[in-house]
Amino acid sequence: MIEGILIGLSTAFTIENLLFVMMGCLMGTFIGMLPGLGPMSAIALMIPIAATLDPSAGIILMAAVYYGAIFGGSTSSILINAPGVASTVATSFDGYPMARKGMAGKALAIAAYSSFSGGVVGALLLLVAAPSLARVSLSFHSTDYFALMVLGLVAVAAFAGKGSMIKALLMTVVGLMLSTVGTDQTQGVARFTLGMIDLVDGISFLLLVMATFALSEALMAILKPKGDAARLEEKEAAQKLGSMKVSGAEVKEMAPVIGRSSILGFLIGVLPGAGATIASFLAYGTEQRLAGKKGAEFGTGSVRGLAAPETANNAAATGSFVPLLTLGIPGSGTTAIMLGALIGYGIQPGPRLYIDQPEIFWSVIVSMWIGNIILLILNLPLIPYIARILAIPSRFLLPLILFFSLIGVYFVSFNTFDIQLMVIFATVAVVLRLLDFPMAPMILGFILGGMMEENLRRALLINDGSWSFLWERPLTVTILGIAALCLVLPALTGQIRRIKDAAYKRTGASGD
Amino acid sequence: MLTKDRIGGILILAFCAFYAFKIGDIRLLPFQRGDAFTARTMPMVLAVLGIGLAAILVIRPSRNLPDLRGLDWGRVAFFLVWMSIYGLSVRPLGFLISTTLFLAVGFAVLGERRLWLLAAVSVPLVVLFWLLMTQGLEVYIAPFPEGWN
Repeated sequence: MIEGILIGLSTAFTIENLLFVMMGCLMGTFIGMLPGLGPMSAIALMIPIAATLDPSAGIILMAAVYYGAIFGGSTSSILINAPGVASTVATSFDGYPMARKGMAGKALAIAAYSSFSGGVVGALLLLVAAPSLARVSLSFHSTDYFALMVLGLVAVAAFAGKGSMIKALLMTVVGLMLSTVGTDQTQGVARFTLGMIDLVDGISFLLLVMATFALSEALMAILKPKGDAARLEEKEAAQKLGSMKVSGAEVKEMAPVIGRSSILGFLIGVLPGAGATIASFLAYGTEQRLAGKKGAEFGTGSVRGLAAPETANNAAATGSFVPLLTLGIPGSGTTAIMLGALIGYGIQPGPRLYIDQPEIFWSVIVSMWIGNIILLILNLPLIPYIARILAIPSRFLLPLILFFSLIGVYFVSFNTFDIQLMVIFATVAVVLRLLDFPMAPMILGFILGGMMEENLRRALLINDGSWSFLWERPLTVTILGIAALCLVLPALTGQIRRIKDAAYKRTGASGD
Repeated sequence: MLTKDRIGGILILAFCAFYAFKIGDIRLLPFQRGDAFTARTMPMVLAVLGIGLAAILVIRPSRNLPDLRGLDWGRVAFFLVWMSIYGLSVRPLGFLISTTLFLAVGFAVLGERRLWLLAAVSVPLVVLFWLLMTQGLEVYIAPFPEGWN
């Protein structure tokens, strides 16, 4: 492991890569702060630049953008109560009330320290967990990988929220369907190209991500324009921050919260599909319960209430790299985009990455530490200036986002057909967003589609065309069993809760 | 009742049905027809899953009615067409002219009326971006219309 860390340090600690970490953190914060644009859009917008770099530098840049965007999302949550991403929704519960009390600077500082702690503890745990899991996963067969991919896809849908599971599953299937467009890799047969030569190579992953995230988010902002009052509030919030000092008593109060939330966040982040959003809500709920009488302060500007979700979402973001780096299976939409970028470099993440390309594996881990340090020492003092982006009128910002999204894809392929395809996908995405259909499961399905088909094909070949591997190999059965549980459990717990409620009402009524 | 779930379900059901219909176009060689896994296997599984899930979404009870109040459809439609036109014009007009036009008109449509500001923001930004791409990252893109270069 020491050797690995040294490899990581020597790769990440070049002037060039340090500059990329700095640039990534700043750009990520900048993009993440824009309401509506989250880490997925931020990373997607960076891919055209990352594609021109060597793999280590590209991945380091994207990881830094990821952290920066999460931090940027927290900033807009605190300042204007507009979480750029779901994972910073819980941050706004106490961050925004603090800002309303004139303590926006302090809230931002607490968010930065908590994010830093969550990220650093997460990276430390990643250092231990990733190589161990990579060693274990070397014994995985293609049947197990197929099952793991099913689990990853199902888990993302299962955590989609109440009533949204079928929608999320459906969007996953749509993503898988889109991944089959183009020439079949093994048999060389064209599929779903509709006779168009531009579709023979399939749909570009970057194109799909840009269209369904960056473009459609900008179009949604045009579709639902903000009122003058909201715009004025954003401008004022960006100008008045107050002191950034955190007192000793507050540090003492937050320290155990940060410790607990880091570990909880990391563990939740490792689970495929769970991700930073669940981690942040879970940490918030846990700390509220543990706070005893002080729990009543949650939601009114409590420092604990702010520190818990901020720590947990960063630790979870780090944790989500574990399945990506060790199994090659992304646990979230963001890591799915990173997987797409890695594949674009010709790198297949998985247990072999740890052995074959240790410089990439370790430099990602080391760059997470560097990224967190840079976020703290560079971004925090710059926040008053970066926050001014919130004062840029949307009439300038939105056409610019559209332009950067379109040109980002065009500069990779130089094919104007891609721009037309983006317009079509963005139109569909806007309609589906209005109907509350989630986009992240679709991207995950799209990214995993090719690998899933390949592993299924291989598994069938090894088993002489028999599907019996699905129930004969214990590990495969176990993983598929967990996937089935993920599907059934939310419905089952909902049912049990309903029965309990009904029973409680009955006994309550008879007691009266 | 035409709820959000049902509208989405119907749209995706139509897409899945079209997808299933197009599976027939995937050509298989005679010796591949008996294989356990062909280029059609995965699409067939996906089509069945997609149609099944979309059908459940359409059939199951739901109450989330779409709220279309206060949505600026006109501007979104304009931008969709404008992006498409930008895609068609970026080669014949060249990067500098087409992008400046794209941005300036975009700013104007979203409410900026001062002509000098439209030019002051879009022109330098486009020129700087073009210089960064061509000189900094060595990605060449024709700046002017085809005949001028």
